[in-house]
Amino acid sequence: MARFDQTKLTLRILFENVTSAAGLLIVLGYVLIAIIDAVYPQLIGVVNAYAEVPDYTNPVPQPPSLQHLFGTTYPGIDLYQAVVAAIRVDLWYSFVIVLAGALVGILVGVVAAYYSGFFDEILMRITDIFLSIPYLPFAIAVGFVLGRGLDELSLALVIVWWPLYARYARGQALSIKENAYVEAARASGVGSWGIITKHIVPNVLTPVFVQISLDLGTVVQTFAALTFIGFASANPLLPELGKLISDGFPYAISAPWVVIFPGVTILIFAVAMNLLGDGLRDALDPRNRT
Amino acid sequence: MTLRVYIIRRLILVFPTLIGLTLIVFILTHVGGYQRFLGEYVNIHSAIPVAVQEQRLTQQFHLNDPIFVQYFYWLSAFLQGNWGYTQTPIYSGTVLGAIGLFLPNTIILAAFSSILTIIIGIPVGVWSAVKKDSLVDHSTRIFSFIGYSMPVYWLGLILIIAFASPAVCPCLNIFPISGSVNIALTNNLSWFTSGISYPTHILLIDSLIHGRLDIFVDAALHQVLPVVTLTFSILASIIRVMRSSMEDTLNQDYIRTARAKGLRQGAIINEHARRNALIPVITLTGYTIAGLLGGVVLIEAVFNLPGIGYWTTEALISGDIGGIMGGTVIFGLAFIFSNLIVDILYGFFDPRIRY
Repeated sequence: MARFDQTKLTLRILFENVTSAAGLLIVLGYVLIAIIDAVYPQLIGVVNAYAEVPDYTNPVPQPPSLQHLFGTTYPGIDLYQAVVAAIRVDLWYSFVIVLAGALVGILVGVVAAYYSGFFDEILMRITDIFLSIPYLPFAIAVGFVLGRGLDELSLALVIVWWPLYARYARGQALSIKENAYVEAARASGVGSWGIITKHIVPNVLTPVFVQISLDLGTVVQTFAALTFIGFASANPLLPELGKLISDGFPYAISAPWVVIFPGVTILIFAVAMNLLGDGLRDALDPRNRT
Repeated sequence: MTLRVYIIRRLILVFPTLIGLTLIVFILTHVGGYQRFLGEYVNIHSAIPVAVQEQRLTQQFHLNDPIFVQYFYWLSAFLQGNWGYTQTPIYSGTVLGAIGLFLPNTIILAAFSSILTIIIGIPVGVWSAVKKDSLVDHSTRIFSFIGYSMPVYWLGLILIIAFASPAVCPCLNIFPISGSVNIALTNNLSWFTSGISYPTHILLIDSLIHGRLDIFVDAALHQVLPVVTLTFSILASIIRVMRSSMEDTLNQDYIRTARAKGLRQGAIINEHARRNALIPVITLTGYTIAGLLGGVVLIEAVFNLPGIGYWTTEALISGDIGGIMGGTVIFGLAFIFSNLIVDILYGFFDPRIRY
């Protein structure tokens, strides 16, 4: 019998489904844009990928034209360049947020599951308390303490996000630690820390990373939502999608493009991410296989 | 364990969560400490010297004590109904006064949206499960995908553009895009002073009590766009869950039995399947409430609706401790208690649940 190749099978199922393949391609496109932004932004016509370039001589938003593909937004910023540069900023922060949240969550969840009993109960009740606060007002409270920059916002979102991963990782670890190989490791004298880091965590990682990829669309949206309500004040010229919408807000009626283009950019990414997520779920669920 | 014991146990478990919630928020807002607190409350224009004011405030808020001791002073004041003071551009006064003013607007928005979501979401979900892979099913799927991915504040802005931009169509300028009532109508009203309507603080009800149908219609029109936006943002997940749950239920053995004994399709769906398919939807409602509360913050910001979310955002921007604490505690309380109700309903609807 041929060796069962999990990754190949998952990818095949993913590509057989037209919608999830489309989702994957769009997401890869966004990642590609973000990479080009960081390496050689001039290739896609971006003059400065790290700051918006205002033109105070012509601050009023101009409609889309050949010179300004998406038009301009206040004060005279080329919207195409700002949106493309913002993709890098939003993707980068979102990646960091989910990865940091997953790191803390996996640690708490695995340790709680491994030691179980009273310790588990305490850790999980703390997790529940963090989960019992709606994330947006909670992020507002955290932002109030730390300040309203993007780094502070990311930290706030990590604090909001880790409990979800803690619960998820704990659920996975609870079943993994019952496996025979964990018992074998313990019998051969491997310490608790060795079992956690060498035997449990590596096996928790795969399902958690799937969950991360499903969450990325939500994180991008939440990140942009918080910058929209006033979280990007520390660096007013940093290109960011939610901030672009918020900056364009006063001009939305007379110059609709200033909010339409950044919003559509978020919408397409979120739709693609959800399509990809649905495909991933189907591909990884053995019940769907024939 | 009986249902009653389960409810009592669940109620008791609320208290540690409440303590945890307020403790986290308290530490968060007071961790900047002393100087930040004094900066907020000291009035530099007052005749009293700043040093004297600082001394009084230090005594009043026990600022020299450790933070956990401060928390217990705060908690005892909180339980006695003294929630502190707030100072934002839209309201200055006690926190409880602000909540009394802003909360009714938020409740109205959330209530209308929840009712609309249930009225639309459940039948559409059932329908697309029954007519699986039909045109209805596919268009519902596309709709819920877009709804799921749409940033809610952006949808609000798009509606504002659609209904107010002269470039789109002047015929659409029927719904007001900002605020909760036309100020010209409420000027010089004895029962509507400084933005507060009496006696219920809910304009839609007060206007009827005072027999002002014109104000009622105006206030109702102001609710349309925010309610539509909020409904759209939570509708997608309800439809999705209702559809998949109904699909699962329709594949059960007892449904096949019902078909085999010759029951009509309508009776099977309405009497046998729908009630059981609703159980996962009740669970989902708990999660939806979180989305609702988050959505409220954004939608109130977009439509300038003076609700709790708008006030909390203002408090964030103007660095107001009272507003941040009051707003977060109210959102936390709403979340905890709605989840409690959902859990109890869940036990009530599904007798198989082990308490």
